Amino acid sequence: MLLYLWLANFLFSLIILTPFYFLISNDFSRSMMQDQMVKGLELFWLGDLVYKYQNIFPAIFGWMLVPGIFFLLLYIFLSGGIIGRICALQEEKINLRNFFADCGKYFLRFLRVFLISILAYIIVFGIGARVISALFSLWTKGASSEWPLVVSSNLKLLVFILLFSIARMFFDYVKISLVVEKSRKTVKATISTLSFIGRNFFKAWLLYLGVGLIAVLFGLFFLGIAKLMARTSLILVFIFFLIQQLYILSRMWTKILFFSTEYHFFWLRKIS
Amino acid sequence: MKGKKSFCLLLFFLGLLVSTFAIRGEIFAQERISTIRYEIWVELDDQNKMLHGKENIIWFNNTKDEIKDMWLHLYYNAFKNENSTVIQESKKEGLLGVKVKEGEWGWIDIKSIRLADGKDLKPSMEFVTKDEPLHPSDQTVMRVLLPEPVKAGKEVELRIEFQSKIPRTILRSGYYQSSYFIAQWFPKPGVYEEGRGWNCHEYHLNSEFYADFADFTVHIKVPENFVIGASGKQTDVSPNKAQKTITHTFEQNNIHDFAWTTSPRFIKVERDFIADEEVISKEYEEIASKLGIPSEKVKLSNVRMILLIAPEHKGQIERHFRALSMALKYYGLWYGPYPYETITMVDPPFRTESGGMEYPTLFTAGTGLIRNKRVLSPESVIIHEFGHGYWYGLCANNEFEEAWLDEGINTYSTGKVLAKAYGRGALSPSINGIPLAGIIKPPEYLDYELDRATSINIVKYDPITTFSWHFFSRGSYGLNVYFRASTCLHTLERVVGEDVMLRIMRTFQMRFRYKHPHTQDFIDVVNEATGRDFTWFFQEYFFNTLNFDYGISSLRTYEKPENLRGVFDIGGKKVEFTKKKIEELKAEEKKSVEKEVCITEVRVRRFGEARLGGDVSLKLKIHFEDGSEEVRFWNGQNRWENFIFEKQAKATYAQIDPDNVWLIDSNLTNNSLKIKPSRGGIFRLTTHILFWIQNYLQCLSAWS
Repeated sequence: MLLYLWLANFLFSLIILTPFYFLISNDFSRSMMQDQMVKGLELFWLGDLVYKYQNIFPAIFGWMLVPGIFFLLLYIFLSGGIIGRICALQEEKINLRNFFADCGKYFLRFLRVFLISILAYIIVFGIGARVISALFSLWTKGASSEWPLVVSSNLKLLVFILLFSIARMFFDYVKISLVVEKSRKTVKATISTLSFIGRNFFKAWLLYLGVGLIAVLFGLFFLGIAKLMARTSLILVFIFFLIQQLYILSRMWTKILFFSTEYHFFWLRKIS
Repeated sequence: MKGKKSFCLLLFFLGLLVSTFAIRGEIFAQERISTIRYEIWVELDDQNKMLHGKENIIWFNNTKDEIKDMWLHLYYNAFKNENSTVIQESKKEGLLGVKVKEGEWGWIDIKSIRLADGKDLKPSMEFVTKDEPLHPSDQTVMRVLLPEPVKAGKEVELRIEFQSKIPRTILRSGYYQSSYFIAQWFPKPGVYEEGRGWNCHEYHLNSEFYADFADFTVHIKVPENFVIGASGKQTDVSPNKAQKTITHTFEQNNIHDFAWTTSPRFIKVERDFIADEEVISKEYEEIASKLGIPSEKVKLSNVRMILLIAPEHKGQIERHFRALSMALKYYGLWYGPYPYETITMVDPPFRTESGGMEYPTLFTAGTGLIRNKRVLSPESVIIHEFGHGYWYGLCANNEFEEAWLDEGINTYSTGKVLAKAYGRGALSPSINGIPLAGIIKPPEYLDYELDRATSINIVKYDPITTFSWHFFSRGSYGLNVYFRASTCLHTLERVVGEDVMLRIMRTFQMRFRYKHPHTQDFIDVVNEATGRDFTWFFQEYFFNTLNFDYGISSLRTYEKPENLRGVFDIGGKKVEFTKKKIEELKAEEKKSVEKEVCITEVRVRRFGEARLGGDVSLKLKIHFEDGSEEVRFWNGQNRWENFIFEKQAKATYAQIDPDNVWLIDSNLTNNSLKIKPSRGGIFRLTTHILFWIQNYLQCLSAWS
């Protein structure tokens, strides 16, 4: 499953990257400036890059958006396979056929969950964000030094991250509920999940944050390596590229771990 | 007869006496730096955010004109209402005016303006606007008629009472709670230019200031618990226990502006810059040798450094003083000793938005709560704003009309001091005030690299020498007068050499100290110091919007064909050389000849409209497989030029400007061309881009 996720991500990224690669290659491959690129980020070649391509930046954003939307739909598709196989793990082994069978089986249900979640995000980050910002502004309005501003802006960021984690966790359980209950009724599943989360909120959330912490630790570990590792030769650049892919894999593994722990928590609660 | 003789003798001696005084008066006039003498009394009303002031101005006419009026700046009226020039201009760019709340406007009112003999000038007072496009309701320039003209070499004394409402900072000057930064706060005469009249512009969004050198005595009355800093040296402190106030007196001669700041929150720290401890004799000798002047002339003086800093930044006190010491040292060694006794460095009061600004003998820096050591902040802003004490403070250019003369020159100078004192600095990404330089490895750079990168995109908008308020936008103003001008100066330095550039800068500084130089003065100094005519340099790169871009257009390298196809007359017969025959001949030749002769053809092109000029030419270097190199020079006048070489080796690459002299070149990538492409650097860059695209997609999927 991990391999499929990584492959999808890598292929989509390659598709997005390809035009940029040829563009840069065309302009830089025969210039000595590209030798400077081996050494790392330098303002001379970066300045030239911005100068050459400044007019195509709007097109770049558009180019990133469309494949991004397709990838999102693909991910919803693959999520069905991941959760389906996690739920069926005790009964069947994972193979290509039953994985993609689950992807197809749950795609429309998960798509509906995604659409409902957009509504939830609008409420949380649209309306909720304004309320939270207003509350923090009350605190910082009369500040006489920078400290309240720095503390409040970071606290605000933390609050949004935590709210996001609650929303994400909730919709993960909706998906799990649909698979476990073998239901097609998305709205009903959403409502029943509300009740489930209501009864088990803190334990579920602590579990979710615990897995999230693993993701954060992976991230910090990767940043540490990136900071310490010199990349002054092609071999080292290639090794670092592999480390980057390992980091991407770790993110995907963490995503599967989220689903897995949530499924097991849901199943245990359901039994009890 | 005897009486007549005595009378003639008397006349003769009288004449001698008069002419002596006349000459002395002329010499006196030439020696006199300050045109104006100010004595100002001002009281800060903290509760109502007001200033109550009285001002005596003695203005000296050092021109040959008879002056019938006086124009004064009333800069605070820029913050009076939305009709002001500043607010109107800022609205076009969506800045400033949108965030002014009720009750936060500022203004200045002249309650009375009289001559020393009591004559009232207020009836003749009128607001004047003459800058195009017109903003007739602007009230930042006022004019009064003088009952009698001020003759050449004479003085006039004005006595003004004024009242100001301090704005909740819109631009540079204002208050937040009980913290104040007070700048451009008093009625200030414009600059009278002989034969041209008053140079007295409105307060513009994209502009700074221009005034005459003056001697200031300022008495500032503030609440007793307020810590104060101001231009000049503090000479008196008079407490008034009954009113719970203190009147601080500051004095300074030969400056053209006076700013002050006060807050109960400031921590005040004073240190001395001791020249003998900061500079060793070897450094003096080195600089003196480069400048060709005696060592005594480069000796620096001791300076009292005063820092006013917010309590939450007190962990950065040492960084502030070190940066200021470095600035005093290197600006002093390179451009001339700092001539004043004090320098006041202000960490701007919180939310007064007065940071990063310069005033004579006082400047504001600006920092944050948490700073990484590798990131040169606040060092870069401290060095830059101190440097303005030289470029603008001492060489007092008209910042309205020729802003690059201080901003561009100072940006160039700042970069050199930072490089000398600190080396490469790191970029400083941060999130919500938390610097990320601790967990990621930000790229490092020298200032001139950043100057170039930011300025190559702006060339087509405006010439560097545009009047400040006539620039296309605030962005064009900033990028042109700061970074493009600096990049041009760095280029000039690389063309003429570092030592010659040092002489140029020092000559310009010392010759035009306490004067108002113009762009032409700088050009004249460049020509004089180099012994060459560099007028073309400024014409092409400062007065125009021409893009500079030279590059290698093509590079071909191939074995020289000994035989060509076709029919040739050989030994009276017609012999046909076919392709096959040529190859056979070639194979035979290779056995006997060690190396083939190769032809290399290089075409260089002028892609941009800007040209080289004078006696300057572009260096072309070709590198060959056998390790040898050939160098040629091109004057860059035509659109392109071909260079052909015959050698027993093929070329590997061709490069113009291999020494990176022409930093203003907007496309350094096309300065070189290799025969064989390589992609190592592209691989590194694209793997990074790939990684970030992967993260972007992964973040998107988090929403699913």
